[in-house]
Amino acid sequence: MPISEDHVGRSYPATAPYEVSRAKIAEFAAALGDGDNPAYAGADPIAPPTFAVVLSSAAWDAMFADPDLELSLSRTVHVDQRFAWQRPLRSGDEVSATLTIEKVRARGATAIIGISVALATTAGEHLCTATSTLMHSTGEAA
Amino acid sequence: MSALTGVEVGQLLPGFSRTFTRADLVRYAGASGDFNPIHWSNPAAAALGLPDVIAHGMLTMGTALRVVTDWAGDPARVRSYSVRFTKPVVVPEVGGTVVTFTGTVTKVADGLATVSVEALCDDVKVLGAVTAEVDLG
Repeated sequence: MPISEDHVGRSYPATAPYEVSRAKIAEFAAALGDGDNPAYAGADPIAPPTFAVVLSSAAWDAMFADPDLELSLSRTVHVDQRFAWQRPLRSGDEVSATLTIEKVRARGATAIIGISVALATTAGEHLCTATSTLMHSTGEAA
Repeated sequence: MSALTGVEVGQLLPGFSRTFTRADLVRYAGASGDFNPIHWSNPAAAALGLPDVIAHGMLTMGTALRVVTDWAGDPARVRSYSVRFTKPVVVPEVGGTVVTFTGTVTKVADGLATVSVEALCDDVKVLGAVTAEVDLG
C-alpha cells in the first residue's frame, strides 16, 4: 500500500550523529557565494542558516527507504521548505536529525507529504526544525 | 551583538545579482551532499522533461538569504526562513543564469523584523513566499 493518511505521525530513528566542522562550514558558505562572511570563518564559526539542510535531508533517507510508503526520490518534487532555529549550528556541534511525517494528502497518483525534521545535539539540545512539503507522483515512470 | 535599530516597514534591503554556473551547482552538490543528477547531468534533466540542468532549489534558497544576512550583519539573527520553490532555475552548460535578489521589511513587531525576499530570473519569480524573521535585539 503506498503512502496514505494512515502514515501520519510515523517517525524514524534519529540519524547517526554528524559533527559540524569548520571545513564543512567554509565549504558550504563558499557554495552559497558567501565565503567572505566572517561569521562563517575563524576558530568558532557558525554555519550558514541553510546548512541545516545537510542534516535534515540526511533524515529523508529513512523515509524514502521505508518499504511501506513506496516512495522514490526521483519522482519527488520539493514544494516548499521552512526552517526555524533555536540557535545557529556551529562547529563542534554533534547533531542528529529525526523525521516525522506530519501530513499526507493522497489523491490518485499524487501524494502531498508534509514532513518535519527536528535537529538536536546528541546532548539533547534542540537546534532547528526543518519542515518541507513534498509532492510525490506514482504511475508513469519519471 | 548590538541591536539593529531604526528598522521600518517598507524599508528596502540592498539586493544583488548572482550568476549561477554549472561549476556552482557542482560545488553546491558537494557541499550539501545533494547529488541528484538533474543538477549536473543533461540526460538526467531531459529524462524528467526539464529544458536543461536546474539549480538546487536549496542553493537558490540559501543564496537568497544573503540579502537578509548581509543586512542583519550577524546571520545568527535569523530565527526562521521559508520559501516555496515556484520555478526551477535552468542553468545551461555554457555561460550561466543570472538571478537577482532583493528584500523588503514587511513587519516589525516584538523585537522581530519580517523580511520578504524576491528572487527573479528573466523577470520571473523563481521562489515564492520568501520570508525570513530576524531578531533585532
